[in-house]
Amino acid sequence: MIDAAIKTIFVLLYVTVAFIMTRRDIISLISTYATQSFLLACLAGLLYMQERHATLLWLAALILIIKMVLIPSTIRSIQKKMKRDMEFAYVSPTGSLMLSIVIILLSYGALSHLLRELGLGQLFALGAITGVSFTMMGLVVIFSRKLVLTKIIGYLAMEDGVMIFSMFVAELPLIIEALILVDLFMLIILSTILALGMETTIEEVHKRLQVLVGEEK
Amino acid sequence: MITAYVTIGILTPLLMLLSRTHKTTSLMLVAHTLIHLGMTGILVINITEPVYYLANNYFFIDALSTFEVLITSIIFFFAALYARGYVDGLLTERELSIKNVKVFYLGLTTLLTGLTLAFFSNNLALFWIWAEVTTILSAVLLVTLNAKENITAALQYVFVTSTAMLFSFIGLIMLFAVSKQALGAGTLNWDVLMLHASEFSPALLGVTFAFTFIGFAAKAGIFPFHTWLPEAHAKAPSVVSVILSTSVTSVGLYGIIRMYALVHPYTQLGAEMATVFGLLSMGVACFSMLQQKNLKMLIAFSTVENLGFMLFAIPVSLFWVLFHSLAHALAKALLFFSAGIIRRHYHSTELSKMKNILQQPFAAWGLIMGGAAAMGMPPFGIFLSKWFILTNVRPAMLSVLLFFMLTAAAAFAVALTGTLSPDEEKKEKYRPSRGMVLSLAGVLFLLLLFGVMVPEDILALLTATVEGLA
Repeated sequence: MIDAAIKTIFVLLYVTVAFIMTRRDIISLISTYATQSFLLACLAGLLYMQERHATLLWLAALILIIKMVLIPSTIRSIQKKMKRDMEFAYVSPTGSLMLSIVIILLSYGALSHLLRELGLGQLFALGAITGVSFTMMGLVVIFSRKLVLTKIIGYLAMEDGVMIFSMFVAELPLIIEALILVDLFMLIILSTILALGMETTIEEVHKRLQVLVGEEK
Repeated sequence: MITAYVTIGILTPLLMLLSRTHKTTSLMLVAHTLIHLGMTGILVINITEPVYYLANNYFFIDALSTFEVLITSIIFFFAALYARGYVDGLLTERELSIKNVKVFYLGLTTLLTGLTLAFFSNNLALFWIWAEVTTILSAVLLVTLNAKENITAALQYVFVTSTAMLFSFIGLIMLFAVSKQALGAGTLNWDVLMLHASEFSPALLGVTFAFTFIGFAAKAGIFPFHTWLPEAHAKAPSVVSVILSTSVTSVGLYGIIRMYALVHPYTQLGAEMATVFGLLSMGVACFSMLQQKNLKMLIAFSTVENLGFMLFAIPVSLFWVLFHSLAHALAKALLFFSAGIIRRHYHSTELSKMKNILQQPFAAWGLIMGGAAAMGMPPFGIFLSKWFILTNVRPAMLSVLLFFMLTAAAAFAVALTGTLSPDEEKKEKYRPSRGMVLSLAGVLFLLLLFGVMVPEDILALLTATVEGLA
């Protein structure tokens, strides 16, 4: 039952990344990322039900707070100007989707032998392959989009891939996972402020940086 | 000791927030770096066995981390001395807004703590996190100037390094799983991994090295992930360029060395990747140097060339790689400090606009000496490391390396010769502050010292480092 639910979430996660590859509307891109994070938290919750490792439960909570709520709301609050991302570079949305299928197949081919050597079961190997495929698909988003904000969403999708990989290959200590999420949060705030600067003025960036370091309220 | 580094690292920014003038803020940075250098000096003299911190040994002080922190301490101390006069120049030219002065100093002081904690991390995941923190802080420092193109450079830096670092993290997760398989409980503590590496699957160790290499190579500015480096170095304020070119890239090289030490007795992949990517970096950098019309870009590509050389030499002689990193850091500090003064005088870093640079004698001699040092000429420290590394490589490889080095040297020579031609245009002479001149003199003194006489304590530290990695 849990296995089936986990596999269903894998499929839904692939749907969210396909959405990120093709959507032009910024608000819906951010919402898709929030949905992806919710699915990731569900994945951690389901794994907890199977493995009974408390770390997974805490991880689910952290994902919900930082990735589902904090990061999307921060991006929305900093970035209000841009509504749509119309430009694609190198590959079209259809090309990106085709490339993703190739990436999934390649990841499966390249990793299945190595993951067997690590002694992972079928479901866990599938999770690890999904993680690596996800990371590569996020990379495609970064390369195929011109708007910095969409690239940030691509980076976040990549990071989700690494998190899926981590959940299924080896659970890291909670303190490390928490620090990584805090680090990600800082990185996203900075990138979003810089993305804003691309569209506005350097003064706007400086104003926000001063607020960030607590110098000016 | 780490507690002392963290305490001073927290106190200084807090005091800086309370400070009201540029003078006091800059003095606080000088005090922070001086205390940091003093503490590191004590470590260098007393280092014997690794000392561990926190219950799970997440931090440690060993010979390699002490050596890297020593380089960082020296560079930051001179950068802090140089900063006040340099920032005054930026304010006069309206390249930096008065409101951003504090952000600039806060960024520098926090970056010093971030780098220190990265080097002292025994846990590789923690090292990865601190390495990412240094990326964020470096990007903040890059955008403090009033130039919109700095945003592009900062974003490029953040995207290239952070994206590549995610692949490193996949490698670290694999390494954790490999250790879990062999030891029952997973760990990313480097000392434990070193102790049990013989029990791990060599194939899997090779894969983990390949993944981690991607991120650390990007951080170190190694081809093909070097694209961020020239732009960021050229656009950054000179003080920041010095730190980016030395301590920040060292974080990447340090990560590669730690991983290399872990895998090299069991797989050849580490040595092969170091050789191939090292040579490619040198090749790309030296030909790019020939085309440069901008002084800071030229110095930046020279950094890529030297980093490529260090990467190539890891399987040849770790001792001389580490010595090279120290001498290279000093040479780059001298070059970027000089470039900062030249920029103020000519209001540009375009080589075509620089004539008769001897009008700025300190900076001109800094450029000439720094250029000669970066090329590997005696009596500077880089000559020693290059000599001992080159005498240990195969003849076929030697000719390729010499060709790359001569090309880079030619690029430097051509660029600097052009700047010595007479200047018909009368310019108002820029007067560098005493702190700026003192930084140049101090760095030059150390560069010469390490070329003719390496202090016993540093030699002992280097020997202990190589033994610790064996």
